[in-house]
Amino acid sequence: MFWKYMLKRVFYGILIYIILIFVFSALFNTVMEQTLRGQIDEEIRGELMALDNRSSQQIQDFIEMRRAEKYALYRLDKPIFERIVWRTWSTLTLNLGKSSSIRSAAGDRNVWAIVSEKIPRTLILFSSAMLIDIIIGIWLGLKKAQKAGGVLDKSTSVGTMVVFGMPSWWLGMILIMFFAYTIKVFPSGGLHATPPPEGIAFFLDALYHLALPVMTLVVIGFWGRAFLTRNIVLGVLQDDYIMAARARGIPERKVLYGHTMRTSAPPIVTMSLLALLASVSGNIVFEGIFNWPGMGNLFWFALQQNDVPVLMGNLAITTGLYICGLVLLDLVYGLLDPRIKVGGRA
Amino acid sequence: MRIGEMKSSFNEFWGEFRKVKSGMIGLVFLGLFLMILFFEPLLLPFEQANSRWKDITYWEDNPASAAPQWTNFFSSKKSSVSMPLEAEKKEVKNAGTIRIIEETFLYDYQYDAAPSDIIFRASGQANPTVIISVERPDGKKIDLLRKPLEVTQGKDLRIAIDKTSLNEAYNFLKSMDAATGLSKQTLKTTDILFSKVEESVVFTPQALKGEYRIMVSLILQKETDVIESTEMKVAGRVQGILGTDNSKRDIWSGVIAGVKWAMLIGLLTALISVSIGVVYGVMSAYLGGWKDSLMQRIFEIFISVPMLPVLIVMSAVFKPNIWMIIFIMCIFYWVGPVKTVRSMGLQIKEETYIEASRALGASNTRIIFKHMVPLLIPYAFASMALNVPGAIVVEATLSLLGLGDPNIVTWGQILQDAHNGGAMLSGMWWWVVPPGMAIAFMGMTFAFVGFAMDKILNPKLKTR
Repeated sequence: MFWKYMLKRVFYGILIYIILIFVFSALFNTVMEQTLRGQIDEEIRGELMALDNRSSQQIQDFIEMRRAEKYALYRLDKPIFERIVWRTWSTLTLNLGKSSSIRSAAGDRNVWAIVSEKIPRTLILFSSAMLIDIIIGIWLGLKKAQKAGGVLDKSTSVGTMVVFGMPSWWLGMILIMFFAYTIKVFPSGGLHATPPPEGIAFFLDALYHLALPVMTLVVIGFWGRAFLTRNIVLGVLQDDYIMAARARGIPERKVLYGHTMRTSAPPIVTMSLLALLASVSGNIVFEGIFNWPGMGNLFWFALQQNDVPVLMGNLAITTGLYICGLVLLDLVYGLLDPRIKVGGRA
Repeated sequence: MRIGEMKSSFNEFWGEFRKVKSGMIGLVFLGLFLMILFFEPLLLPFEQANSRWKDITYWEDNPASAAPQWTNFFSSKKSSVSMPLEAEKKEVKNAGTIRIIEETFLYDYQYDAAPSDIIFRASGQANPTVIISVERPDGKKIDLLRKPLEVTQGKDLRIAIDKTSLNEAYNFLKSMDAATGLSKQTLKTTDILFSKVEESVVFTPQALKGEYRIMVSLILQKETDVIESTEMKVAGRVQGILGTDNSKRDIWSGVIAGVKWAMLIGLLTALISVSIGVVYGVMSAYLGGWKDSLMQRIFEIFISVPMLPVLIVMSAVFKPNIWMIIFIMCIFYWVGPVKTVRSMGLQIKEETYIEASRALGASNTRIIFKHMVPLLIPYAFASMALNVPGAIVVEATLSLLGLGDPNIVTWGQILQDAHNGGAMLSGMWWWVVPPGMAIAFMGMTFAFVGFAMDKILNPKLKTR
């Protein structure tokens, strides 16, 4: 039964991914066209410089010939629909092409190489923040649920609302201003000091650079997590079996951590992982503010450079990761909660 | 539901809402924002801040990167404040065909840091020779300017003393034998004018406090020359409620002007997207069968899109104005309430009165809009309130990336300027903190209201 559910879910995931990539391709092909044509003209002009002693007729012929060749290479001579399908296919096969100006650390212009070296950095930043966030959030949420309506619950709920509409990158700016420029205890950004130190100091240096962005994310994140945990736990606490457990004289601590947590864990974990997924794809500006060389920063940079292949590649990979995460989440959830695989979707 | 029914259920809701303290605080804040919106013209020190935010000539008389005025209270070293100067006397002398307009401006200087500039403006239609000199409290007189200049209709005569009179100020120092070894480039005119004559004037200027008399003479040669008005302003080191940015714009004006855009973006996006989401969810639940499946598949496609990157790419492609941004945000935001609404709809659908009205031959549209959607209105309002902050933050994020609407002033755009202008590095907190604070504050307001409604709608969350 679970296998069937799993196959179905994975199939849907892939289908959705294909549809989205198709939409993106259509979106980009319209913009791409002008950029690409301009780029080709420039390349041909560069080739012309190398030639000399040609008549104007020969030059004209040469331009025509080279242009036709390049257009054929990029399929610009084909109708737009065919181009969209072709780009969809090449993106799906991870054939992301070459960037127009951005290079990877090794100097490579292959989009896949450029993006893939950024993925681990982004993941490190956000998952370490999320880990701390979850620990503090769940702990505080349980405390809040224990005495719902109490002083701690009320005051921290106000905290939740205060940070509710606060952009994380703005808090980042403030903290950079204070910690990096005013009292100078943390670096203002980046992944490593320049030049990066060797050996064990390399990791310590990375940790040191990680501290401020992670702190910012945690400071802004754990309130919401705590509030959510509180609500989920409170909902569970009203179930009959909790009352039965209490009636049996089981100590309150055990009721809370044993019985209640077991039921509330899946939704809490799901929510947290969803938040992680959202923040990996959604904190583009955050990385830019901290100059953290991850995918978000690349996105910002590609946007400024108008580097369409990198933008497209980055978007395709981000979307892929996002959908993979969603599918994985559903599968894990299906494993934890047997009701789902029987009823299709809860 | 009839109007009367609606009213009584609203009254019931209001009675509950009043008991939630945080919700009431939220409403008070919301009222505050609406007041700002309403009285915006009165609150703006620069009335054209909205239309001329990006027009540098509108702001050129302000000091650049000036801290807020009230920072003087916390500093032992008082900085001069921006202010217009009063003309003490104004007289017109006639000497044959030549007319001379003489004005004396008084400036009572009681600060420690000299103003950043002194600006003289005249409007009219003339070719006057302008003579400006200043008489200091220590009795010394400095000639600052003597130059034939031009005023035309529509283009004021603007003289910024700091820039035009460096030579004269330097010569003054020289004549006092205080300029040995100083190069002119290291000096600032206003520092010389408002400091005691010492050789240390370049590094640690000692303020010369007292009354300064700035005399301006305009010599008009021709009969047809007209000078309509003149004014003199001091551009201080501190200005206004929230200071200025590095292109001399008043940040308070920007923040106040941003209120209405944030409101518009947040409320409109929330209203449209939640309405669509609620109707979509109810339809999906009510129609059932393959229609429900299809609608759910479409919904799944939308929730699988990483919103922000796609939003950014779309903005970069379309170079949108504010309405387009709102529209694009709605494309992604409508999915928010669908799942909850659908499950609520599935319950409502089974109620007997739905069945009854179906038996009476009511159309699907009628059942959905008349009998099901009204029941979800409270939920929709709560969900709208909670969607507002997100939309504001997303717009700010787009603006920070430089993808905002260039014709309006939003908080995100002020922050973008601050980020690009190195406000963090130079410690210009008055440029970074207020716009972000405004975003957070507005988010908080709607969160207060939304969470309060949520609490009423989900009685489970009150206590254990």
